[in-house]
Amino acid sequence: MKNAIKIIASLFLLFVFTASVVNAQKWQAPVLSKKKQNPYEASTRNISSGKKIYNINCKSCHGDATMGNMLPLQPVAPSDLGSQAFLIQTDGEIYYKVNKGNGAMPTFEKTLSDEDKWMVITYLRSFDQNKKESKKIVEVKNPEVTDVKLLLDINNENKRILANLTGVTAKGDRVALQGIELSVKVKRNFGYLDISGDDAYTNEKGEVNVQFPEDLPGDREGHVNLLVKVTDDAYYGEVIVDRIASLGIPTNPVNPLDERAMWGTRANAPIWIIFSYVGGVICIWGVIFLVLFQLIQLPKLAKNKE
Amino acid sequence: MNDLQEQKETTLSFEKIKKDILRPMQNHKGLELWIAFLITVISVCAWAYYVQLRDGLGVTGMRDYVSWGLYIANFVFFVAVSLVGMLISSILGLLRIDWITPISRIAEIIAVAFVAVAGLVIIMDMGRPDRVVNVLIHGRFQSPILWDITVVTTYLTISLLLLILPMIPDLAICKNELKKASPLLKKLYNILSFGYINTPGQYKHLHKMIRTLMVLIVPVGLAIHTVTSWLFAATLRNGWDTTIFGPYFVAGAFVAGSAGLIVAMYFFRVSYKLKDYITDVQFDNMGKLMVAVCLVYLYFNLNEFLVPGYKMKTGDDVHLTELFAGHWAIMFWSSQLLGNVIPIMLLVTKKFRKPFPIMIISLFILAGAWIKRYVIVIPTLLHPHLPIQNVPQNFVHYYPSAIEISVTVLSFALALLIITVLSKIFPVVPICEIAEQKGIEVKIEA
Repeated sequence: MKNAIKIIASLFLLFVFTASVVNAQKWQAPVLSKKKQNPYEASTRNISSGKKIYNINCKSCHGDATMGNMLPLQPVAPSDLGSQAFLIQTDGEIYYKVNKGNGAMPTFEKTLSDEDKWMVITYLRSFDQNKKESKKIVEVKNPEVTDVKLLLDINNENKRILANLTGVTAKGDRVALQGIELSVKVKRNFGYLDISGDDAYTNEKGEVNVQFPEDLPGDREGHVNLLVKVTDDAYYGEVIVDRIASLGIPTNPVNPLDERAMWGTRANAPIWIIFSYVGGVICIWGVIFLVLFQLIQLPKLAKNKE
Repeated sequence: MNDLQEQKETTLSFEKIKKDILRPMQNHKGLELWIAFLITVISVCAWAYYVQLRDGLGVTGMRDYVSWGLYIANFVFFVAVSLVGMLISSILGLLRIDWITPISRIAEIIAVAFVAVAGLVIIMDMGRPDRVVNVLIHGRFQSPILWDITVVTTYLTISLLLLILPMIPDLAICKNELKKASPLLKKLYNILSFGYINTPGQYKHLHKMIRTLMVLIVPVGLAIHTVTSWLFAATLRNGWDTTIFGPYFVAGAFVAGSAGLIVAMYFFRVSYKLKDYITDVQFDNMGKLMVAVCLVYLYFNLNEFLVPGYKMKTGDDVHLTELFAGHWAIMFWSSQLLGNVIPIMLLVTKKFRKPFPIMIISLFILAGAWIKRYVIVIPTLLHPHLPIQNVPQNFVHYYPSAIEISVTVLSFALALLIITVLSKIFPVVPICEIAEQKGIEVKIEA
């Protein structure tokens, strides 16, 4: 009897799985949605911002575009979004699927803005070999290098940060690495602020030139913690440089614990509350001690018997 | 001739009062058995506390969500019951209401026992009780905890004084009459009677002190329960974030305290054979007082639940639905109905204010009062404003562990033991005050 139940249960599960697989393979966007056009042009800037959004929202399941390193989910693994088989779809179809989601793929209708979604599509379209007008993000092939170095040159006067990425080739020459995206970040209270700008790809000299924001506060001396890294660890592993630079606006931080307040330390308690507590304790206990003092005098009163 | 006879009768009566009240202190087999039973319970439950001390608070059901469990509910309950001392002997005493004379000392004994155990319960709730001194060393004036510890110790001190001071004439009698008492007890009577021989000077001096303390304990008594309510009301949590919590707790305390007093009165009346002193008049009047305080409490309950229940603002809605119709509904409604509404309806009839029925009703009120504290403390904690992600299952429910229940039994047994011991070594009914009230001359030998 028990076995029968088990068999029926397994059959049922199998049926559900098969159904969902079939369903997943048949994921079709409605005809009308296919005609939707991407309103944004395929500029380097748009592709770059699309890549950032992709890395945050899509990469964890779909992996890197064209690399085929998606999560091996069952029953249907996520597609490689840089593959030609995927890019055969129109922009409108991809847009529809990003919005709606299917199975394990969540909906991004509310979580991403329309602009963000189109940026991601612009980025993905840059891998499409059939679209002649698309620009490839990595156009230059860098030689195989070892000992990748990231050097920082900070100009305090005009607040510019110059990062230089180089590596050593098999022949032993140190060469500049071109077309690699760098992230330039500044440490704030609860994380890092990205100040890389839209086009932080190294040029032919291996350089990225970033303007430090004019209005960013630093500590009392204007020091800020800078962190520059190669955005994608897939190229050369983790390449990071951090540096303390006097680029920020000197600011005297306000410590809310310094003022007298209800949330303060005991020493910084509001005067009125110290006064009420101490005053109350002195008054009440004063009376108690007065009574105790009178109590001690009680035996003496036994002597005058009138 | 006539005068002489009356004189004879009165001296006899004073002797009779002394004899009646001092008898249970000298010879009472059942009382010793009861003390032995309480000590056994305490020793067994002390083992549970030892386990908690050894292994930490992990042995309790308390986790990150419910960090105040059974113990804090007990604490609030103990503080509430202890407030009866202030209500009976101070407020009614200052109003010169005479029927409270025979029961004022019982009220004061309850106050001392319950507030002392309330302080201990807080320490039992600490994983590291050795750090309790840190509250005094590092305590912040802004924190209700510091105020609470201060006010509990102050109330305990004044209650102790209000127990001992009016008892000084009686203790002078004990010193003279109880010849067979143990030497230690004799020494205690000797010290605590402060050489009192009832001279007019001593009488006046003593009563001035008592009146001072009676006035002093009113603000302290109000403070102890108001500050206890501020432990809750000073937060933003749903169900605690309300402006009427102070008077609401005080009103609830009068209900619980009066119920506790009625139960104690009944047992002393029966066990100590004090029918001539704790008469039906006392029970009848306590019943009326109970109706009055219950009505005040009902009025506060109406405000506390009807107004937020009408608005049902976000956060409160979950909390209130859980109380009215959810997981806590049975406890909530039984505390409201059995502990408040039905007692009011019953006690307005005279026959339910007879000693036995009113004692049974008071037991229900006491149980209801305890359950009320439980549903004030725990449900609110189960709905934090910032829930934890992927929270373990045992965070989102609270069931007291066996250790917690044992430690709770320990604290109740401890309170009963203190009451029993105090009523064993001290006269539970004021001898001299009763005599004065009946116009009998009080004679205390030097």
